[in-house]
Amino acid sequence: MLGLTFKNLWARKWRSLMTAIAVVFGIALVAGTYVLTDTTNGAFNDIFVGASENTDVAITARQQVVQEDGSTPAFSSSILKEVKTVDGVRLAAGDMFSQGAILDADGDSTGGGFAPQFIASSSPEGLESVEYVEGRKARGPRETALDEAAAERSGLKLGDTILLVGTGKARPFKLVALTRLGGASFGGTSIAQVPLPVAQQLTGEQGKFDQITVAADDGVSPEELRDRIQKIVPKDLLVETGAENADRQASEIRDSLSFLSIALLAFAAIALFVGSFVIFNVFSITVAQRTREFGMLRTLGAGRSQILRTVLVEGLLIGLFASIVGILVGIGLAQGLSALLSAVGAELPSKSLVIAPRTIIASFVIGIGVTLVASLLPALRATRVPPIAALSESLISKSKSRVWLRGLIASLLTIFGLALIASVLITGTDGGTGAARMGGGAVAVVIAISIFSPQLVRPMASAIGAPLERLGLTGKLARENSQRNPSRTAVTSAALMIGLALVSFVTIFASGLNSSVTDVIDSNLKGEIILQGPGGFNPIPPEAAQLAAETPGVRAASGIRFSNVKVTEGGGRSLSSVQPASVNEVIELEWQEGSAEDLSGLGGRQAVVSASLADAAGLSRGDNFEVLSKTGKKVELTTTGILASGNLEFLGDIIVSQQEMEKNFGVNVDFFALVRTEPGQDVGDVQKRIDEAFQKPFPTVDVLNQQELKDNQKQQINTLLAMIYVLLALAVVVSLVGIVVTLILSIYERTRELGMLRSIGMSRRQVRRMIRYEAVITAVLGAVAGLILGVIFAFLIGIPLEGDGFALSYPILVLAMIVVITAIAGVLAAIYPARKASKLDVLEAVSYE
Amino acid sequence: MESTLQEIPQSGASGANIVTASGLTKVYGEGEAEVRALDGVDVTFDSGVYTSIMGPSGSGKSTLMHILAGLDTPTTGSVEVEGTVITGLDDGDLTRLRRDKLGFVFQFFNLLPVLSAEENIVLPLSIAGKKPDQEWVDELIGRVGLGDRRDHRPSELSGGQQQRVAVARALVTRPTVLFADEPTGNLDSKSSHDVLELLRGSVDDYGQTVIMVTHEPDSAAVGDRLIALRDGRLVHDAPPVSADAVIELLKKLA
Repeated sequence: MLGLTFKNLWARKWRSLMTAIAVVFGIALVAGTYVLTDTTNGAFNDIFVGASENTDVAITARQQVVQEDGSTPAFSSSILKEVKTVDGVRLAAGDMFSQGAILDADGDSTGGGFAPQFIASSSPEGLESVEYVEGRKARGPRETALDEAAAERSGLKLGDTILLVGTGKARPFKLVALTRLGGASFGGTSIAQVPLPVAQQLTGEQGKFDQITVAADDGVSPEELRDRIQKIVPKDLLVETGAENADRQASEIRDSLSFLSIALLAFAAIALFVGSFVIFNVFSITVAQRTREFGMLRTLGAGRSQILRTVLVEGLLIGLFASIVGILVGIGLAQGLSALLSAVGAELPSKSLVIAPRTIIASFVIGIGVTLVASLLPALRATRVPPIAALSESLISKSKSRVWLRGLIASLLTIFGLALIASVLITGTDGGTGAARMGGGAVAVVIAISIFSPQLVRPMASAIGAPLERLGLTGKLARENSQRNPSRTAVTSAALMIGLALVSFVTIFASGLNSSVTDVIDSNLKGEIILQGPGGFNPIPPEAAQLAAETPGVRAASGIRFSNVKVTEGGGRSLSSVQPASVNEVIELEWQEGSAEDLSGLGGRQAVVSASLADAAGLSRGDNFEVLSKTGKKVELTTTGILASGNLEFLGDIIVSQQEMEKNFGVNVDFFALVRTEPGQDVGDVQKRIDEAFQKPFPTVDVLNQQELKDNQKQQINTLLAMIYVLLALAVVVSLVGIVVTLILSIYERTRELGMLRSIGMSRRQVRRMIRYEAVITAVLGAVAGLILGVIFAFLIGIPLEGDGFALSYPILVLAMIVVITAIAGVLAAIYPARKASKLDVLEAVSYE
Repeated sequence: MESTLQEIPQSGASGANIVTASGLTKVYGEGEAEVRALDGVDVTFDSGVYTSIMGPSGSGKSTLMHILAGLDTPTTGSVEVEGTVITGLDDGDLTRLRRDKLGFVFQFFNLLPVLSAEENIVLPLSIAGKKPDQEWVDELIGRVGLGDRRDHRPSELSGGQQQRVAVARALVTRPTVLFADEPTGNLDSKSSHDVLELLRGSVDDYGQTVIMVTHEPDSAAVGDRLIALRDGRLVHDAPPVSADAVIELLKKLA
């Protein structure tokens, strides 16, 4: 019997291959994601292990609140003296390692894309974290070392001048050395190394260290030394062995990158889900076509379990094959994904690809599992073929459509799915579980729709096909054909529906995000000019706002800073700071309690809070609340005003004064700054003047007007949208493969009928057109259903966000284009099946048994 | 036309009574649309006898065979095969019955296109998980005249050859009863002759019991016994005399 299964598969090899393709994409994305993340994590691990090679013990500040850029706070350098006195310490030195900008003499960045750049201190001999490839360590305030990858990118050689920008003005340095870190490529990231005092000065952290690096005496183990040092340093400092430190940093990177693998795996899951529809359809059709064969096997004494097994083993073998191909494609895809990421400016470090056993096992389990699950229902249907089916010439096995049962199951699933989604929307569960419940709910609703959709296909296909019918007989036949096996058409379109529901959902959502951002800029920003760092998410020196304020034609310039904090009764929150004297010149906010004067009057230990925090912590004006800063300081703040909800909360949940921020929250750089021009001044002229004034001291700061800021934001959203489209395209392609296979199989079934049509005079062209129309009806059916579903999901998810000032907008034109493109894709999918149908030999078709 | 029912004792190499059907009725539909495909049929079959079942279309001949073979269930009445009542057996028991005791030959051959002639012949044994008795298989292949084509696929065989493979497949398990459903319905006269010869030979040489539904007088004449149905009732049960006599009988029934 197993031999028979193999032979059957081989006899239907094209069909089996197409079936396998339906899951290959998904498995490839799973394997590719794992290979990519394992490789990246491995590379980071190499970097950190390499950097800590000479480190026996590392002392850093404990990270109290996770920051957006992952940095740890600097700490006072005074502790170094005491560390040096600990028995067993051979060498100890303080280090700086802060984000900054590294530019060539023309002011162009030496980085790759948006990858961060670091200004670090060079370590004394014996504690080096980098390897000097060329040149010598930087000495004095005018020399620097640079990693060789960055130098290569910008064509720099020893003796050239580069500019380093920390928290102040750009300063020129002479390149005296090229370095290498960890042996792996560091992605687009670059590091410049200057002497410690210079680094402290550049980063505005005089008298502070980011880390103290310690080397042990011979015979003293790192663990022993760690324990000894632990005893003498304050509790807010973390003492680790070099290995522990490298492990922790690598795992922090791993965690911060895990969103990437989660996102990619989610898209893989979508592609696999769609693929399972295609497999289900192919198996259903195949089982229907083999009805007589199964009946015959039953008359020969085959039991139901044998029939079940023969179908399932086919599924298993297809899954096995698809997994192998998927893994191979996935390894190639890992390189492609990495290229895709670096194309959008998120280059990852690389080394030779890591293919972990987990990658292989997961791919096989998923590939075989999905195929088996999708073929289970058709296999069960095959077991219900009665032996008598062998005797009938053409017994079309029509499963009795129990409409009420379908309806019941579909409604229960819909309710379950919507309840899951609602539970997330109402309770606002963040993170993994929320996303999983949301996804589970969406899957339940989609399955419910697919179960019930055979009932919907007739009216919908009839409506969509109506215009085609005017095109003549071929249109009429196509319309009828698409309705005559409703469940088959339903599953084929449902596969497409899933992909397109997501496409329209993200399209609507992105459009809503775009218009909401534009709204906030229009209604909340009074400053016409915006100063921001490269990419919009790197900090800018605070002196920039000062210089802008001094530029002729400027009425006020005000910088804004951010830090992540923890509110004792309110959890992790974003805290911003404003310059009270000028903030009301550049920003306009809506208030729930209080007024703009509360903002300009912000003093020490005072804060304006968002409505959402006020709600969560039960605050009204005058109430105090406690905040944990990133340096581990507990700060008691008094509420002086409460903002109205809305505004996208672009200033975070807590607003304090700049002084408060510097004093208690340890942030000394602006995140962005807003500039208001004098009345009567031409904004373009002022913008140009500021730009010119910035050229030398602040080459990294972008000077944008509001339109440019909007365009910038739009571009960021669109870049993300484009990536999502590319990944969703996988699912859409899978569903188009589904249309191709289903059409080919239906044509095979209808051979005799097609022969008849040809024998009474239908031309090849007419046959082709008929098949093409059928594909278009199926495709548009899926597109319209997907569109409706996407709109509903976007609407539902938009409701709770409305309070934050997020308003959906429906890009009608884009959505209409999606339907048109899908119809065209349907025509393309029909090319091969249509040609096959038109090439049937008439005589053979009529006498086809 | 009651007179067509002739009281003639069963003839041929009579052995033990092997299939007994009593009081079979089969009703489709209800009320106005009610159709009685079988209307009280009692019939027995002895081992080693070649029985042909005839009748005009709609007479119930196919329904009778389907019920005898356990492929369909009667509305009332019962069928016994070798002392076991098969009406009302569950699917598992029916499967075992078919596997161990019944053989089938179909009008449309029903060979698996992916298997060779020989593989098709031993398929029932593969399904049962038994090792084929190679001597017996070789004899059957020789007997159906496909010694030089045992490795050919069905698509490389003529219709007659395919049906001979199907007969060999039905015989390979040495079934208690071989059911044939219009086995020559899709063949030219030369091929029909070969297939009928084979069935005849299986009865004569191996003592096989054969029950065959046919509408062709030439085919019916090959059997030991001819039963005819009309409107769901047994109207004739006698050894066939000649093909011409069968034609006469059919004319009377029509």
